[in-house]
Amino acid sequence: MLKSTLIMLAAMAAAPVLAAITGRVKAWLAGRRGPDWTLNYATLAKLLRKTPVYSRSTTYVFRLGPLVGLATILAALAFLPIAGRPPIFSFAGDVVFVFYLLGLGRFFVVAAALDTASPFEGMGAAREALFGTLAEATVFMVLFLLQQTHGGMSLATYLAATTAGPGMNGAALVLAVIALFMILLTENSRVPVDDPTTHLELTMIHEVMILDHSGPDLAMIEMGGWLKLLFYATFIADIACPFRGGPGDYLLYILALLVIYGGIGLVESITARFRMSLVPKFILTSFALAFFALIFTMEMPG
Amino acid sequence: METFFLAISFIIAAGVLPFLFLRSSRLMRGSAVIMTAAGGLTGLLFAARAMTTATPPAATFLLPGGLRVLMQVDAVSAFFLLPIFLVAPVAALYSFHYTRAQGPRAAAGYLFFSLLTAAMAAVVCAADITGFIIAWELMSISSFFLVIHDFGKKESRRAGYIYLLFAQAGAMVIFATFALAYGKSGSLDFASFATMPAQARILVFVLAFIGFGSKAGIIPLHTWLPHAHPAAESHVSALMSGVMIKMGIYGMVRFYAILRPPGPGCAMLLILTGAVTGVLGVVLALGQHDLKRLLAYHSVENIGIIVLGLGIGMLGAATGHPLMALLGFAGGLLHVLNHALFKSLLFMGAGSVQRGAATLNIEQLGGLMKRMPLSGTCFLAGSLAICGLPPFNGFVSEFLVYSGGFQGVANSEAQMFTALAAVISLAVIGGLAVACFTKVVGVVFLGEPRSEKAKIAPPAGRSMQAAMVLLAVACLGIGLGAPWFIALARRAAGPLLATPTPMPAPLDTAAYAIALAAAGFLLLLAILAAGRGLLAHGRPAESATWGCGFSSPTPRMQYTGSSFAAEIVGFYRPFVIIRRDFSGIHGLFPPLSSFRSHTIDLVELGIRRWLARSVMALTGKIRWLQHGHIQLYIAYIFFAMLGLLLWLMV
Repeated sequence: MLKSTLIMLAAMAAAPVLAAITGRVKAWLAGRRGPDWTLNYATLAKLLRKTPVYSRSTTYVFRLGPLVGLATILAALAFLPIAGRPPIFSFAGDVVFVFYLLGLGRFFVVAAALDTASPFEGMGAAREALFGTLAEATVFMVLFLLQQTHGGMSLATYLAATTAGPGMNGAALVLAVIALFMILLTENSRVPVDDPTTHLELTMIHEVMILDHSGPDLAMIEMGGWLKLLFYATFIADIACPFRGGPGDYLLYILALLVIYGGIGLVESITARFRMSLVPKFILTSFALAFFALIFTMEMPG
Repeated sequence: METFFLAISFIIAAGVLPFLFLRSSRLMRGSAVIMTAAGGLTGLLFAARAMTTATPPAATFLLPGGLRVLMQVDAVSAFFLLPIFLVAPVAALYSFHYTRAQGPRAAAGYLFFSLLTAAMAAVVCAADITGFIIAWELMSISSFFLVIHDFGKKESRRAGYIYLLFAQAGAMVIFATFALAYGKSGSLDFASFATMPAQARILVFVLAFIGFGSKAGIIPLHTWLPHAHPAAESHVSALMSGVMIKMGIYGMVRFYAILRPPGPGCAMLLILTGAVTGVLGVVLALGQHDLKRLLAYHSVENIGIIVLGLGIGMLGAATGHPLMALLGFAGGLLHVLNHALFKSLLFMGAGSVQRGAATLNIEQLGGLMKRMPLSGTCFLAGSLAICGLPPFNGFVSEFLVYSGGFQGVANSEAQMFTALAAVISLAVIGGLAVACFTKVVGVVFLGEPRSEKAKIAPPAGRSMQAAMVLLAVACLGIGLGAPWFIALARRAAGPLLATPTPMPAPLDTAAYAIALAAAGFLLLLAILAAGRGLLAHGRPAESATWGCGFSSPTPRMQYTGSSFAAEIVGFYRPFVIIRRDFSGIHGLFPPLSSFRSHTIDLVELGIRRWLARSVMALTGKIRWLQHGHIQLYIAYIFFAMLGLLLWLMV
């Protein structure tokens, strides 16, 4: 457990710099130099030093939003195996707990946005609520699939290096990874679902919900966002990489993260974001892929 | 059993005593609250003992006319007594300040309230057809009078009429069930129904499912709920939605326990009905503007979750998976208790809003968290609980149902896909419930008030606040005390299982784990909050919300509940219709125009359009029988008697 905790802390400390990879890839593809690697840490330090400003419309729910958001993702990470190593905590059924905890985080982020009485934030909150609902269906589809292939009901049995059960076959694995990558893009508000760098409040989803947060609150939201990205990226890496339990796993894990974070940058560079009405179809596509992965698993066991 | 009758006597007294104190409203309400509380505590004591004793308490007595009534309280009955005896006293406490302004008329409300409570307790204890029918009808009728308490209003009478129709149509199906069972088994005792042949057992179970389903509110038999709840008073809605609709669930559970219909067919029926009820219920809830109507649709959704749980349990039992059976049944039953707590809490919150802001239209509310912080916080807790989010109680029961569904690696693919449908619909319900309750909390309690009345809403009365705090604490308590309540539900599920299944080790550890994980999460949150406090520099500044450069926003510019839900409801368009009435903009100097949107319940539309119309057309043809001449009515009676006598003689 001590080792797992150390690995977790190292991964969490690296989350901001990992997020910078995406920005670097985008800059490189656009022919720019890109931000400094330490920019995200500097941002955190700057925000933590500031005094927050609160709107007169808000209540304690607004201040609770960033806190609950960060707490849920921190708690969720404690159940996630990193590089195939057993997680800090694990029990039969923790998959349901972890994803419902993330739901709790979403509840408070959306409620905090509505607390500002801003029409723009309400709009972003409505979109977040819809897309989150749909993404949840895919997530549970993937979890059901993993239950079929690995047995049990915990992230540790699904994702750790030594698993019982037949495992997933290649075709199902490819589909599941693509489906999860689409969910990663959705849940972390990336192109083509949302554009983190957009300038118009009307077209934002995640960014508009946090318009009124400032200072340490904004720092918690930013950190929570990077950790959430790390959560989904690690989830995908754990499924896709054949971890053997040796020290080579860490190298493989870092490589997988580089591919995933770079992949996000690549997707953001070569695709435009979808019209809002197309996003549900995008998410449903991920559901269909996960469903086909289940069918592959059933028809071609082993 | 004497304890039980003592509890019932207390509760009946709570209905009768107020008539002695018509002069003093305070004394009248106080006596009702105290007697209901006494009855509730006695009843809880009895239920707790009945859960743990090996031989279920039973009683037999004769009614005038020689009818024998048999009562028996096994673990299932005792478990269903818990929500009755828990919610009734709290609802009565809430009513103390809620009915403050009613004067002597409140006494009638208390009479029917106590009759309803007593009737429900009798329903779950009845062990033969006679007792069950008497209790069931008493329950339906007393709740009907509670629905039409405000009979001066046309909507109230209409709601009462719709409710009576559904209650009695459902009762008719239940009577048909009983008739069939009596015909096949030749006995009035429930226990003897088990001896029927397998085919008859399946038929009786399906009929019972439909009949009890209309009380529980499964789709398509749910349409009375969104009418009845807004009409009734809030503490009555709390009792009806929290407890009374569960009597429908009790009927299903009881008949399953007796009949044990073989094969997975019935289980699949329940799972599919539960999935449809759950998903459509929450989608319809999203589209509502009236807070109590919205909550009523959420009751439909939660009935869906309960039925899903029972269906998973039955599937496990039918396919020989004792663990899956145990998880499904325990999850469904625990959700009965959980839903009773958080739904009554939410209805009480709605009542506080109604008393404070004089409206239930969520588009005219807003910012109430500042005006009534305690009620708002309790409502927030109830919202988190109903969404099934940890660390509250809804999560515990949904966790069990999920765990049951994940066990669905059955032999046949059809069964696996049924389990998959259950899991996915639970996930969709969970996501939609979060969307719906962020809408309610966000639009009603957060932001800025959208009307003058909402701006000056006073906080709820003290007894109302106390009742809500009690329920909110209970919701959190079950979430943190999960192992004990899972053990309780497991005991209640005992009579439903073919063989006594001991608590499986993984479930036992999982029960402790979710409680520990929930507590750990709260601890983490507290640590983060403390850290956040330490980081604070100086006093936070106050300012206006960022309006993208626009300097004078008004509360009317806020996102409305309808806009918030529009995209989500629109996504389910084939099943739910959003009707928009827009007056349009005409002329060079356009006058005021209006825009209105509302969600149409397809089932209700269908019932009105096809079922009601064809029934009306049919009955219109024989309307000449009803002419108002009393002489001819007497002649009808005479000829009917004559006919019967002749038939007896032949």
